[in-house]
Amino acid sequence: MNSYLDFDGVSKRYGAFQAVSDFTLPIHEGELVALLGPSGCGKTTSLRMLAGFVQVSEGSIRLAGKDITQLPSYRRNVGMVFQGYALFPHLTVEQNVAFGLEMRKMNRTEIAPRVHKALSRVRLDSLAERLPRELSGGQQQRVALARAMAIDPAVLLLDEPLSALDARLRHEVRAEIRQLQKDTGLTTLMVTHDQDEALSMADRLVIMNQGRIEQIGTPDEVYERPVNRFVAEFMGKSNFLEGAVEAGGRFRSHLGQAFAGDAGPCAAGVPALMSFRPERVQLRRVDAPVADGMNAVQGKLVRFTYLGPLIEYRIALKDGVEVTALLPNTGDLGLSASGASVDTLPGSAISVQWQAKDSRLLPA
Amino acid sequence: MKSFQVSGVLYRLVVFATLLFVITPLIAVVWVSGFSNKVISFPPQGYSFDWYVNAWRIDTFRDGFLLSLKVSVLSTCIGMLVGVPAALAMVRGNFPGKAFVSTLLMSPMMIPGVVAGSALYVYFIQFELLTTFQVAATLPGLIAAHSVLTIPWIVRLVVASLVSNGSQIEEAALNLGATPWTVIRRVTLPLARPGLVAGGLFSFIVSFTDLEKSIFLVGPGSTTLPIAIVNYLEWNLDPTVSAVATIQILMIGAALVFSDRYVKLSRAF
Amino acid sequence: MQGPLQLGPLRPNGKGVSMLLSPSLIFVVVLLMGPLLLLGRYSLNHFEPGQFMVDEVTLENYGRFFSDPFYRGVLFRTIGISVLSTIICLALGILPAYYIARVQSGKLKSLLLIMVILPLFMGNAVRVAGWMVLLADRGLLNAFMQALGLTQEPVQMLYTGTAVLVGIVSVNLPFMIITLQSVIEGIDRPLEEAGLNLGANHLQMFRRVLLPLMMPGIITGTVLCFILAMNAYATPLLIGGPKFQMMAPAVYEQITRSSNWPFGAALAFVLMASTLFLTVFSSWAMGRKRAASAKAHA
Repeated sequence: MNSYLDFDGVSKRYGAFQAVSDFTLPIHEGELVALLGPSGCGKTTSLRMLAGFVQVSEGSIRLAGKDITQLPSYRRNVGMVFQGYALFPHLTVEQNVAFGLEMRKMNRTEIAPRVHKALSRVRLDSLAERLPRELSGGQQQRVALARAMAIDPAVLLLDEPLSALDARLRHEVRAEIRQLQKDTGLTTLMVTHDQDEALSMADRLVIMNQGRIEQIGTPDEVYERPVNRFVAEFMGKSNFLEGAVEAGGRFRSHLGQAFAGDAGPCAAGVPALMSFRPERVQLRRVDAPVADGMNAVQGKLVRFTYLGPLIEYRIALKDGVEVTALLPNTGDLGLSASGASVDTLPGSAISVQWQAKDSRLLPA
Repeated sequence: MKSFQVSGVLYRLVVFATLLFVITPLIAVVWVSGFSNKVISFPPQGYSFDWYVNAWRIDTFRDGFLLSLKVSVLSTCIGMLVGVPAALAMVRGNFPGKAFVSTLLMSPMMIPGVVAGSALYVYFIQFELLTTFQVAATLPGLIAAHSVLTIPWIVRLVVASLVSNGSQIEEAALNLGATPWTVIRRVTLPLARPGLVAGGLFSFIVSFTDLEKSIFLVGPGSTTLPIAIVNYLEWNLDPTVSAVATIQILMIGAALVFSDRYVKLSRAF
Repeated sequence: MQGPLQLGPLRPNGKGVSMLLSPSLIFVVVLLMGPLLLLGRYSLNHFEPGQFMVDEVTLENYGRFFSDPFYRGVLFRTIGISVLSTIICLALGILPAYYIARVQSGKLKSLLLIMVILPLFMGNAVRVAGWMVLLADRGLLNAFMQALGLTQEPVQMLYTGTAVLVGIVSVNLPFMIITLQSVIEGIDRPLEEAGLNLGANHLQMFRRVLLPLMMPGIITGTVLCFILAMNAYATPLLIGGPKFQMMAPAVYEQITRSSNWPFGAALAFVLMASTLFLTVFSSWAMGRKRAASAKAHA
């Protein structure tokens, strides 16, 4: 294993409750990895185990070749940005940033330039004399970043870095943090529950659920090729058809139809789901021919919702199953690609079609 | 946005009248202390500070003031020494029976002064009978009794301070490389300063003004200021005792106003 | 859990905790709990006038207390004054508490709070001095009335039950106001506005919205004021005079002046017990009333 940071079979148990199980994750130097999942999935616990605030029940953590599992938190060289920033209220911005350096026994002449450099990187050097309570939320976050980075840590930990910021700021700050991370080449582990954040910032994502890792992959891997229902539903929206895989890799839904699809991890004869994304759906008239390589299913339009740049369609199939289509708003309710016009009155029959390569077979 | 206000001059009048009622005895005392004539009359014949000088000349008042001061300062110090660690243990410690310990620590506030005082009195005398060491009617005995009074105030106020700071800030310090003792020294205690100051001041006040407990424990010939005032009032009513009471009011008032800068007083309860 | 986390003094447990807690706990146990137990034991002893105290186990002290009409009277008077003063404190305290909690200006609020808190900590000696200065025959109020020609002779205001009541109310009112004020502050203003918006007038809104939400504070406040009143010493002593006996001065009297420790101890415990009993009883009664009214609304 020559990865820079290694979680090896790490787990955390509180009495009978398993908070994290079998967490194995190699992280390479310079990567930004995001731990993503719903609340209670164990992502924060995992981060805190790395920081040294939670004791590991099983497994080990290695950083730059050294086993740090038994080291106390103040001897691990990881810099953490806390969710509430945790700035020292009784110290100025400058003193906050200098704190970690003082702990490393540097003298004043060495500390000052480093503090200055850290503050100018986040563009806060003019506020060095202020106290935390005099700063805005966004400024406080930058101080927290500067403080963590000033110590030149081996790893940077971000605990929900954007959650306390208002929506307007988040977009900007996201990009800033990512740029900062790239410029410095700092290996970074980030915890978030916000998909957009994770997708836009991370080199790789780790999707977690109930203490376990569901999938590790790059943003497009995780989005385009989810390995199970949870990931498919958690990342964006998905449509599902229930059924089973036949010999030969075809999928037969409960409704009787057979579809072609990327068989993925499913064995023949096993109950499975066919999933496809709403934005890959095309709507056609029921009497229009189905092109090669397309899967098609018939249904009735339930309603459509005008979302501005997009229009969302809800279609009911036989059996009460509903699917969603998300089409761009091209001025004609998104149906110009269909050629012949499709009736958009609720209740009208409609054909839902998607490319076979856009479908994914998942274990049920 | 204008929030609704119960309308009416009447409402405001009632409120201020009630508040005035609460303050009136204090105002009366302060005012009378400045009357030049020994007999209280209305309107006063004149004003003078003679009575303050007179009060200082009266042994019981002067000695009472000094004793109260001494006892309050010492018992506050003792209270801080034992109370601050207890507060730390309550907030950061991990042990069963926290509720029970908390009740024990708060109990001196809840047991009436007369009962606690009489219990301590018989206890000290019994101790003396058993060991020939006199404790009742001695200064150390009085200080010990007052120290018990200060403990709940110090613990409560320091705990409030520690809790409001939360443990994330301590974690941040650890993360940056500070050892636990350094964290306590450079983060926890400085941040708990409001609670420490307020705790010290409130302890001082509670000890200085104590009456019901102290009456059992002062020795013959010595007295605390509140006791001196009460004893004097049994036979006399004149500007001298008003002056003494005014001194107490000013002292306590100063301590409260000063402490307000550290802990918003309404939050202390 | 210690071990690799090694947080030491930041997360004390076991040995660390005992070291931190022992000094204060020792103080409390040795100087409060122990003495109380001893006093309780003494209340069961026999008192021989002339002798000091005779070791026995007898209930005669408690018996004497309850069979002697004088002492029964003292207890009932104490309870009566306490209940009355508590009700008055509640009635007088609600409006100021509401006003202070809702006042807009931060400065005015601080000023008002100091006005309320200052008397709280002055000490009973000073407060009693104040009322005596005001109410004595040769006090301010009489001088004022005579100067205005309203009266010729001094009107006796001290040494009556009313004066004691006034004195106790003035001591306890700040406690009530502070307690209620902090509870009201915790009630979101939009809740009141919602009530008004839905058609309730101020009185109805108060009864149906504020009052139920204030209940915990009301209970705390009344319990506090009641306990303080039951244990009052200086006020009844000086303002009530020798004819108006209440429990706390009686305890002092028995223990120091009469040296009748067993009887004094019994008095002390009757005082504590009745305070405790009435407090618990009223909380229980309040609880049942709320449960009943909740059922009625369900």
